[in-house]
Amino acid sequence: MSIRDMIEGKKEWRAHVARVKALPHDYQIVYREIQKYLFKVGPVELNDGTGLLSGIVDLFAEGAGMGKGVLEVTGNDVAAFCDDLIKDSKTFADIIQESMEQKGKKTT
Amino acid sequence: MLKGALEGCVLEIISRNETYGYEITRQLNALGFTDVVEGTVYTILIRLEKNKLVEITKKPSDMGPPRKFFAINDAGREELRRFWEKWEFVSSKINELKGRA
Amino acid sequence: MNFWEKITGSDMTKEMKAFEARTKMLPADYQAAWGKINEYLWAYSDFSGRNLIPILDGVLGLLEETAEDGQTVNEVLGDDLKGFCSALAGEEGAKSFRDKWRAQLNRNVAKKLGK
Repeated sequence: MSIRDMIEGKKEWRAHVARVKALPHDYQIVYREIQKYLFKVGPVELNDGTGLLSGIVDLFAEGAGMGKGVLEVTGNDVAAFCDDLIKDSKTFADIIQESMEQKGKKTT
Repeated sequence: MLKGALEGCVLEIISRNETYGYEITRQLNALGFTDVVEGTVYTILIRLEKNKLVEITKKPSDMGPPRKFFAINDAGREELRRFWEKWEFVSSKINELKGRA
Repeated sequence: MNFWEKITGSDMTKEMKAFEARTKMLPADYQAAWGKINEYLWAYSDFSGRNLIPILDGVLGLLEETAEDGQTVNEVLGDDLKGFCSALAGEEGAKSFRDKWRAQLNRNVAKKLGK
């Protein structure tokens, strides 16, 4: 990663955080919990900049603009919403497992 | 089973008119799928986008960030055709079963 | 050979340095946890360690986010760091960890929204 990438990446991230902070309080709470969950599960999309996360902010900003509560947007089962979101995605765990298999093949 | 059916429904709605997430949700709710929320539709739209079944245009909105509008493409139409074929088959078989009882 | 020595000299050094700089901004208990996580995860690396970069980046992001939230590292990761790491790497038990995270997510949302 070049220094330029890092600065630009940071800038993008800061802009993203600022958008989160502009959401109504209940949306911010749910957004933060979602982000924490996604960081743990680690869908590969997290590596492609803020696309996956900023998509959620778009969805939330529009819902808030319509005067809806956050759970009206995500449904009560927020975890199910997250899992749907990354259903077809490889997770970090998948990647590690694949490279372990590769490693196993090489040594045998 | 309902999830897959919902995906077909969303694609069908998109195939009629270029539209956006919240509007699709409204239509599904009006149809009687009252427990479908925006979030559900959003996850379906992401999948349609990933599988390249739709074309996306961003247009400004007065409700917040620019809205993504979805229009069906050829691959989407083909997918939709397959969906209805499958659906006809499944529902005809279920009805057959019901008729036998 | 420890984690840092192992990667020194590889083309990943820059990325590792960037991680190190970010780590230094974290509270002490977070830094300690990060060190342990590094150790555990190293067992899952391929020869270059490249496959670990995204997973380390994800974990560091999680730590940064929750440190800012003012939570203790224990609240976030639980007391079974080793289990947490093997779950990250998709080892046995990953499914039950994911169920736990899922339940934690919904519980936190319900609690914080006051419902």
